[in-house]
Amino acid sequence: MKKINIYKDFILFFTFPVILIILYFINPSQLFVTGNQTSFIAILISCVTFEFFIRKAKNGENFYMRPIPAMQAMEEAVGRATEMGSSVLFVPGISGLDEIDTISGVIILGHVAGMVAEYEADLHVPCCVPIVMEAAKESCKEAYLKKGRPDLYNDSKIHYVTDDQFAYAAGVNGIMLREKPAAVFYQGKFYAESLLLAETGSSVGAIQIAGTGSSSQIPFFVTSCDYVLIGEEFYAASAYLSGSPEMIGSIKGQDYVKLLCMVLIGFVVLVSFFNFLNITQLDISSFFKINISN
Amino acid sequence: MFIKRQLAIVVMISMGFLALAGQFINSDNLREFTDKDAPQWYMIIAAFAAFLGCINLLQLHSTKVIRRKKDWQYSIFTLVGFLLMIFFGFLYNGSTVGLGPHLKNEFSAFYWMYNYVYLPLSSTMFALLAFFVASASYRAFRIRNFEATLLLISGVLLMLGRVPIGALIPWWTVIIIYVSILFALFASKIKNKQVFFYSYFGANIFILILGFLLGWHVNLPSFLSIPLIQEWIMAVPATAGSRAIMIGIALGVVAQSFRIITGRERSILGD
Repeated sequence: MKKINIYKDFILFFTFPVILIILYFINPSQLFVTGNQTSFIAILISCVTFEFFIRKAKNGENFYMRPIPAMQAMEEAVGRATEMGSSVLFVPGISGLDEIDTISGVIILGHVAGMVAEYEADLHVPCCVPIVMEAAKESCKEAYLKKGRPDLYNDSKIHYVTDDQFAYAAGVNGIMLREKPAAVFYQGKFYAESLLLAETGSSVGAIQIAGTGSSSQIPFFVTSCDYVLIGEEFYAASAYLSGSPEMIGSIKGQDYVKLLCMVLIGFVVLVSFFNFLNITQLDISSFFKINISN
Repeated sequence: MFIKRQLAIVVMISMGFLALAGQFINSDNLREFTDKDAPQWYMIIAAFAAFLGCINLLQLHSTKVIRRKKDWQYSIFTLVGFLLMIFFGFLYNGSTVGLGPHLKNEFSAFYWMYNYVYLPLSSTMFALLAFFVASASYRAFRIRNFEATLLLISGVLLMLGRVPIGALIPWWTVIIIYVSILFALFASKIKNKQVFFYSYFGANIFILILGFLLGWHVNLPSFLSIPLIQEWIMAVPATAGSRAIMIGIALGVVAQSFRIITGRERSILGD
């Protein structure tokens, strides 16, 4: 049985991807987009690595997860809000569901709503985009139901504010100043309003946890918030919070892909150094270029 | 139950794979779908949701006003603003052009409202950012540890390098700044203040004389030019840091997308 599994894994994680890559390069009947090989290989290697570690986790292998303070503080923040008798404010950013950051934010919202339901605290979610409001409502409703507290779910607390960036910032700031929430979560896509929101949250004394994929807004959140999910931590948050082995396996896979990236960066640096010394004349950057011709 | 759960997951997975395939499969129909049709479908769904958003806004604030809930007075402003823009957008024109094109006509009441009410309010909010940046910078630049000190130094150099006065700062001032920074880092190690003062003073004099001997006042080395230092900070350490974060973000996006399109991450559907 074990031998069959090894063969199956070999076919799935080695033979199949290699055949796909060969097919892409042969390109029978112009089936594939030419010039996009680098992206294809990168995505294929990433996906195969994720799947490999997900399988490993599913088969019972335990993976060590580095403790991330921001994620550990989420429950603490909700607990603090409960003790203080104040609400928990969740800001899902200003983009629509076509942004992966917003999707990640809504996924985290589901976990936060579960904690809020458990602690019997109040949750307030002002939304900037109506379609996000609908997704947030659905996510929260299910989280409350899953925790066996559908009676605590308040539909009017997940509401639409406005589509405009600064009007939304003004609206959320108003909510913060009037309600004085004990915990504020900023999880989603943010632009220039990030500092307006985070500084107001800081002024009302709320414990603030931010997470975003907008690299230009991370410094503002780091300055004003107590905890920040930086870079890939934000996308891993839902997997981390769910605690399910398959999700944790995908994070492990992500770490290995990151290691591969580091090795490649080191290789490029080394080749560039050799090129500089005229030992080699290899244009390494051309390997990583995408040149779609059709 | 099937429509809410299984069908939603099937749609999510198939759309994810179709969007991914659109990047690699050489098919005009597929590319047309991923580039034009799918975003249009999203826009149509979002338009319906916008209608729901408006209803939600009206419902929430009118209930607040009717039931005299806490802070109900603010809801009056929201409702009045909302209804006023609907009135000027759909019912009252004020210009010679027809309804619809009047939204872009500078003599229409809607345009006036946009220019003289909405834009100043929006600009006011944006302008507040300057004050928030100041308070956030103060908090970030407070010298608490080594990292905060580095942040303060690079922040000051960047600010000086980005303004015209930065280019006018002479080379000997930059040397004094360097020496001061160096001594600030080791200040806690030197207990005797007299020794500290003499060594600080002596170091400044020594490097200034060395500078004159090496002809730095004639041929300015790049490390003594504030604008060039600023450029280097932006091009090397800042870019390296931001690229590391960008690589992490890109990997996170790929992993999250993989979890979603393989149907493992279903909490977005409330599952």
